[in-house]
Amino acid sequence: MKVEYVSPFLQGALNVMQLLLNVSPERGQLSARPQMFTTQQVNIVCGITGEIEGQVIYGMSIIAADKIASIMLGAPVVTFDQLAASAIAELGNMISGNSMTALSSTGYVCDITPPTIIRGSNVKISTVDIPALVIPLKLKDIGDFEINVSLQERKRAAA
Amino acid sequence: MAKRILITDDALFMRVTLKNILSQNGFEVCGEAQNGVESVKLYQELKPDLVTMDITMPEMDGISALKEIRSKDPNAIIIMCTAMGQKNMVVEAIQAGAKDFIVKPFQPERVLEAVNKLLAA
Repeated sequence: MKVEYVSPFLQGALNVMQLLLNVSPERGQLSARPQMFTTQQVNIVCGITGEIEGQVIYGMSIIAADKIASIMLGAPVVTFDQLAASAIAELGNMISGNSMTALSSTGYVCDITPPTIIRGSNVKISTVDIPALVIPLKLKDIGDFEINVSLQERKRAAA
Repeated sequence: MAKRILITDDALFMRVTLKNILSQNGFEVCGEAQNGVESVKLYQELKPDLVTMDITMPEMDGISALKEIRSKDPNAIIIMCTAMGQKNMVVEAIQAGAKDFIVKPFQPERVLEAVNKLLAA
């Protein structure tokens, strides 16, 4: 897991959050986890395929998810329904998409899979056995937002 | 008569957002497809004046759907509306006949500008 894979996601997240939520996130200290693991209540899982492959998880509290969905929908979210969940999933899709644009400028061309929402804390994702790097962000008036990046260069077929 | 638009996006949030933008500005959203397969099918049935097309979708992605619709109707007006803004995607879509390429997140004005321009003729 190379640290250079992280900066496109940071760039993507900052860009999308500025445009969509009108917030400039404050970046915390980067940390590493031996495996993909999230302690957040609401998680958006996005698959990355192509020259680099793996997964990215965007995690946040249910309160933060409510606040983000409210901004995106232009009305307060009373119950976290299908529409609110779809808004949060779309946020993940937009950050991933924007990150792929940033990543492609460094020479790696990749595609993303449709996002999946997982609710419930202490979720361990065991499909990829790649260490994860975690970028914590603080969103003013919204809460914490965590980006777990777990990617590796695709193994070339033996010649 | 209001121009008829078919929306294609797997995200409910995006379909609702696009529908609001378009219907509040005098367009009729005649159909909503959740993936490429549905979009191709609904295009045949509804013959809309314009299609908005997401790229990252289950079943069939938006680039494949774009190609399939354009092979059946070379005059189809399709605009891509996606989070994937990388150069190779834009080039592939435009070469396959997409009339515009809107990168999410977008401002409502950006969508209206594209739709108005293409449907003015």
